[in-house]
Amino acid sequence: MREVIASVLENVRLTRDVYSLTFACDEKIKARPGQFAMIGVSGFPLRRPLAICKSEGERFTVCYRLKGEGTRRLAFDYKIGEKLSVLLPLGNGFFVGEEEKKVAVVGGGAGVFPLISAIREYAQSKEIYAYMGFASADAVCMEYEMRRAKSLSVATDDGSMGFHGTAVQALLSEIGEVKPDVILSCGPLPMLRALKEAVAGKNIPTYVSLEERMGCGIGACLVCVCDKTDGKHARVCKDGPVFEISEISL
Amino acid sequence: MVDLSVKICGVEFKNPVIPASGTFGFGREFAEIYDISCLGAVATKGLTLEERLGNPVPRIAESRGVILNAVGLQNPGVEHFIKEDLAFLKARTRVIANVAGSSLSDYEKICARLDGLVDFIELNISCPNVKCGGMAFGIKPESVKEVTRIAKSALKTTPLIVKLSPNVESISKNAQAAEEGGADCLSLINTLTGMAIDVETRRPVLFNNTGGVSGAGVKPIALRMVYEASHATSLPVIGMGGICCGRDVVEFLLAGAAAVQVGTHNFSDTLACPKIIEQLRRFMETHGVEHVTELTGALKLN
Repeated sequence: MREVIASVLENVRLTRDVYSLTFACDEKIKARPGQFAMIGVSGFPLRRPLAICKSEGERFTVCYRLKGEGTRRLAFDYKIGEKLSVLLPLGNGFFVGEEEKKVAVVGGGAGVFPLISAIREYAQSKEIYAYMGFASADAVCMEYEMRRAKSLSVATDDGSMGFHGTAVQALLSEIGEVKPDVILSCGPLPMLRALKEAVAGKNIPTYVSLEERMGCGIGACLVCVCDKTDGKHARVCKDGPVFEISEISL
Repeated sequence: MVDLSVKICGVEFKNPVIPASGTFGFGREFAEIYDISCLGAVATKGLTLEERLGNPVPRIAESRGVILNAVGLQNPGVEHFIKEDLAFLKARTRVIANVAGSSLSDYEKICARLDGLVDFIELNISCPNVKCGGMAFGIKPESVKEVTRIAKSALKTTPLIVKLSPNVESISKNAQAAEEGGADCLSLINTLTGMAIDVETRRPVLFNNTGGVSGAGVKPIALRMVYEASHATSLPVIGMGGICCGRDVVEFLLAGAAAVQVGTHNFSDTLACPKIIEQLRRFMETHGVEHVTELTGALKLN
């Protein structure tokens, strides 16, 4: 974990409301798939926690949705060459065991971005089956990255592209045939709940990455907690953002 | 060489910059990023007798120039702190244990437990996010005096800081009440109670509906209150509220503070405290201030 002043290399619009920001740090930094960065936006007291989508030596790409004033400022003011204060890499990230060969990744909306880092990491060594859900065809982005998977199923809520339905439904339609050894997932809460129900009793280790409003990003302030099934709290930024699905209450 | 050291209630600090309670945990996470022995002291996360889970999320929101939080005193309990974190902190810097309770007897017990183990106890009588207790003690001068008296009676050696709430009728009266109750030092301001609203959902952003406002935007209010409190009593004052740089520290010292705490800015910039210490040192060098204590209370009113 390091605090760096990075330079913006590219900050471009991918879809109607999703942007991709690539920046360069002053040296190579190793990040695991599923880890995130806290991006400082000038004039805003809180940094924005954004999943690392690509990590290539000193270059990192994060994607973000225009949600409020902070992300709008990030999109419009941070042109090529601008300096950016970044804390990274943060959180635990996804782990896939040596013996786990078939990996299903299930993403929804902005949840596809941390999964792209997992696809990039494991595409050579594992069989990846990707199920990526979007609202409609015009919200689909970074398909060329997802295509690194052995099999890609794009799902849209309105049926305008690929599988008509959710990413979890797309997974379920093939799960008996594919028989994944492990499932990695990230997406909105209703999607994660549907996934938890879908994999219940199937005995497939399932890891989900959670999103929460954060303060410090390093585990000190106890702002971004989630409920665990044992009644305790875990810190999403430090103990997560990736948790085994059975250990947390969704 | 300029001298940044300060002495408060007989306790020497290498400099007057202290991360504020609730923004720094027990120091371990920040210690992964920088050597926390550079700090004047650390004010711990608010401790209670038993472990507390705090409020449901969202616990944080942002508004222009400020943040709001409603963590609700999540902490592992005082015994866990003594066993797991105290030695780690003591080996590095001065320790200010921030304590909270739901009853007078809670305050008495937790102070008795920590007496002699830490450099200071900071009484949180103003955490606005806990339903029973918290706010109740911090509002009225009578209850400020009573809870201070009870806490002080449980302390044989450790000096007592009373952390004042700004959500009160008169900061001067509450400062005097703490002094009458036996406080050795004051710290202020705690957060201002506020609200942030999501217009899409038509709901408050925080689960708790309201939360404590902090950050750069509260600095003018904090400075005014530090000025008033330091003139209303003879106690040393630790000032805080929106400090982001060395010059902000100087403002608080001029207003009457003997030391300062940095809270929200630790989130904006993880290296905030060491940077602020260096900026303060540079300010002193360029302004011919040999000892930082020369600045305390040196404000010249118009």
